[in-house]
Amino acid sequence: MAASETTTIRLQSNDNHVMDVDKAVAERSLLIKNMLEDLGDAAASETIPIPNVTEPVLRKVIEWCEHHRGDPPATNEEESDTRKRTTEIEEWDQKFMQVDQEMLFEIILASNYLDIKPLLDVGCKTVANMIKGKSPEEIRKTFNITNDFTPEEEEQIRRENEWAEDR
Amino acid sequence: MSRAATVMMPPAPNREDIGATWEYLQAGISKIMINLQDGMDMGTYMGIYTAVHNFCTSQKAVGLSQAGSGAAHRGAHLLGEDLYKKLIDYLNDHLADLLEQSKAHAEEALLTFYIREWDRYTTAAKYIHHLFRYLNRHWVKREMDEGKKGTHDVYTLHLVQWRTQLFEKVSEKVMSAVLMLVEKQRNGETIEHGQIKQVVDSFVSLGLDEHDSSKSTLDVYRYHFERPFLEATSEFYAAESTQFVAENSVVEYMKKAESRLNEEEERVRMYLHQDIATPLKKACNKALIADHSTLLRDEFQILLDNNREDDMKRMYNLLNRIPDGLDPLRQKFETHVRNAGLAAVSKVASDAEKLEPKVYVDALLGVHTQYQGLVKRAFNDEPEFTRSLDNACREFVNRNEICKAGSNRSPELLAKYTDVLLRKSGSGVEESDLDAVLTQIMTVFKYIEDKDVFQKFYSRMLARRLVHSTSTSDDAETSMISKLKEACGFEYTNKLQRMFQDMQISKDLNQGFKDHSKQLSEKQPLDSTYSILGTSFWPLAPPNTTFNPPAEVQDDLNRFTRFYKNKHDGRKLTWLWQLCKGEVKTGYCKSQKTPYTFQVSVYQMAILLLFNDKDVHSYEDIASITQLTPDALDGALGILVKAKVLLQKPDSAKPGAGQTYHLNYDFKNKKIRINLNIGTKSEAKQEEVETNKTIEEDRKLVLQSAIVRIMKARKKMKHNVLVGETISQIKGRFVPKVGDIKKCIEILLDKEYLERLDDDELGYLA
Repeated sequence: MAASETTTIRLQSNDNHVMDVDKAVAERSLLIKNMLEDLGDAAASETIPIPNVTEPVLRKVIEWCEHHRGDPPATNEEESDTRKRTTEIEEWDQKFMQVDQEMLFEIILASNYLDIKPLLDVGCKTVANMIKGKSPEEIRKTFNITNDFTPEEEEQIRRENEWAEDR
Repeated sequence: MSRAATVMMPPAPNREDIGATWEYLQAGISKIMINLQDGMDMGTYMGIYTAVHNFCTSQKAVGLSQAGSGAAHRGAHLLGEDLYKKLIDYLNDHLADLLEQSKAHAEEALLTFYIREWDRYTTAAKYIHHLFRYLNRHWVKREMDEGKKGTHDVYTLHLVQWRTQLFEKVSEKVMSAVLMLVEKQRNGETIEHGQIKQVVDSFVSLGLDEHDSSKSTLDVYRYHFERPFLEATSEFYAAESTQFVAENSVVEYMKKAESRLNEEEERVRMYLHQDIATPLKKACNKALIADHSTLLRDEFQILLDNNREDDMKRMYNLLNRIPDGLDPLRQKFETHVRNAGLAAVSKVASDAEKLEPKVYVDALLGVHTQYQGLVKRAFNDEPEFTRSLDNACREFVNRNEICKAGSNRSPELLAKYTDVLLRKSGSGVEESDLDAVLTQIMTVFKYIEDKDVFQKFYSRMLARRLVHSTSTSDDAETSMISKLKEACGFEYTNKLQRMFQDMQISKDLNQGFKDHSKQLSEKQPLDSTYSILGTSFWPLAPPNTTFNPPAEVQDDLNRFTRFYKNKHDGRKLTWLWQLCKGEVKTGYCKSQKTPYTFQVSVYQMAILLLFNDKDVHSYEDIASITQLTPDALDGALGILVKAKVLLQKPDSAKPGAGQTYHLNYDFKNKKIRINLNIGTKSEAKQEEVETNKTIEEDRKLVLQSAIVRIMKARKKMKHNVLVGETISQIKGRFVPKVGDIKKCIEILLDKEYLERLDDDELGYLA
């Protein structure tokens, strides 16, 4: 389908910025892919509204899709399982994810909404790596969380999860 | 359509408000369900997707699920149940509506309605599946992972609802419309069979595996489509075939059935599911063939009688489709071939005594060839039919009118025909065709039960051909022997091969003797050839007369004997005078300048040579000089007198004492070479009788040796078991009679090879 590779479609962020994207790139999003399939070529000339995503985030997501446009689709269940288990992130993605926390969470939400599973995975892994090896206090600090547990509650939770402690 | 008006999309809902969200979604879904042909814009599509997403990701959903079941979830709480339930409600309403509408249609219109709505519904389902993908990915997945039955992904949910809310209520009507259409087509009308194909596809799609939605089963299709389809098919063909058979001939019916069966196969290819092919075939086979099989089989005899090959082929192909369909045909075929064989023999058997072997064998072969061809062309060369043919042939070859006189007649005549073929100038068969004819002989030979009888006659006639060197060709002889060897094994042809070898050795021996004589520069009074034949291989008996050979012969004989004994000391030579022959020349005939050459037996030669000394001899003189017994002498003399070489005085009918014999100086004949060495009819007849007699005796020996062999191996055996075992061992050579076996056992008991034990058992005495 060489022809469709070069087709360009138009996306509109919720703050009304319009950007042109190669169809093949946009189709990293299963939402967009399914929609284009359902609505057919006639619809492809319309601008596609993306009501849940702002321009900077959308640009960031598109940047990721551009870089990964050629990735083979992860069809196999097992393959995605092994991908889930490891926390390793490839170098480009690591650099890509070096953004402020707010942007990081926006990317995760956007990839969940747009149905871009590999990006969602990368985002979640990045967060997981941020948590790994930290004490609850450090985690609270990292993500700016106020401790709303009473000391009793905290003690109980600690006891329940004793088995998971590193010793 | 009442709802065809353009659906206006309400404003995008608050993400936490199930009421508003659903109102928005329902408008979108209706648009898809009912008005998709009007197209859909990106905004609506994205709006619906986003509404579903937003609802499912809202922090605190307002709705029903929160209250009770929410606590059952482990980990993060996923929202969506409300949407799922609302969707089911919507689908049920839609389907109830369709059900109501369907009532206005019947038959083909209903079919059109069903297909249209099915297409519309499944297309919409695909859309909605995509739009609800967020629900599928999270809430539905969680429910299914937790093993909740009755939760399906959105597309499957559509199919399940279709099946329970609409399909199960209309399928019967839809099916009857399908069946009507099919019946129309069976009756020759043209139909829109694409519709049926779509119905089939729809029924197949509804076969959902309750346990694994990624798999499908054919259960729904089988129950709702296949079952009624097969029933209708059986009914249709039962009725049609009954009527057709009543109004048409069986042959016409077979053609009809054949084309109907092809049609049904074509029907499967055109618009049915491949799964129905086998059961449909079965149903058709039953209605069209099995239910009329008796009628068909009754016709078979008529077809056989009229040699209707194409129709028999048709019948074979039809009955071959049903289990055990062909057995009765095979039986009838076997009986028919046997009767045809018997009839063919009766036709030529009018004068059994003078029956030409060729005519008889040709009659047997004719029947075999005809029906073997039939088996090949009409019965697919099927091994079972070939077996029936073999059984029939074995019957009529061994038990027919000719064999009534004695079961040895078939092998005897076959051996005689072979002799005719292999003898010089006997048959008029070209040498190039000879091998083909010999192969045909083997065809009949295969069916002969008394193979030992054939062997006896064959070896006698082979001996005669070799001794008198009257074989057409050595190649043909060896070819025939190797054919027999192939059929019956080494033992069967061992003696025949040894006979051949003896002839070769004799040839070398004669050459040696000639060279030896030259070296000694002895004058040879005779130009002689000797055949040295091993006693145990040749079926030849010593002469039944005394004989004093003429001096000329005796001299040469003595020298050869010395030469031979020198080479092979200790061997006993017995001269088979009755087989010796020679040539003598006449130097006395007045009327002829070139002397006549007489081909004579050695007895005749001895008589004629006497007339070198004087012209008249008395019967008594001849008898005393030649030492021949009256039988041999009378035979030899009789021919000489009949040919007028000698004149008998007084001229009474038979040679005998008191008569005198005069050399006939006025002998005249058109030919220069005259063959006087003619066997008499009675001699040939006698040989036949003797051969048959030796067969009976040989059989007793064969039986006895078989019994001894078996007992030696088993030591102890019940009487009847021994009889059975003996029969199975001997069967290849001839069919032994139980009485004969019993007699042989008695003989062996007397000879103390065997002993009687208790309980009807026999024991072997070493």
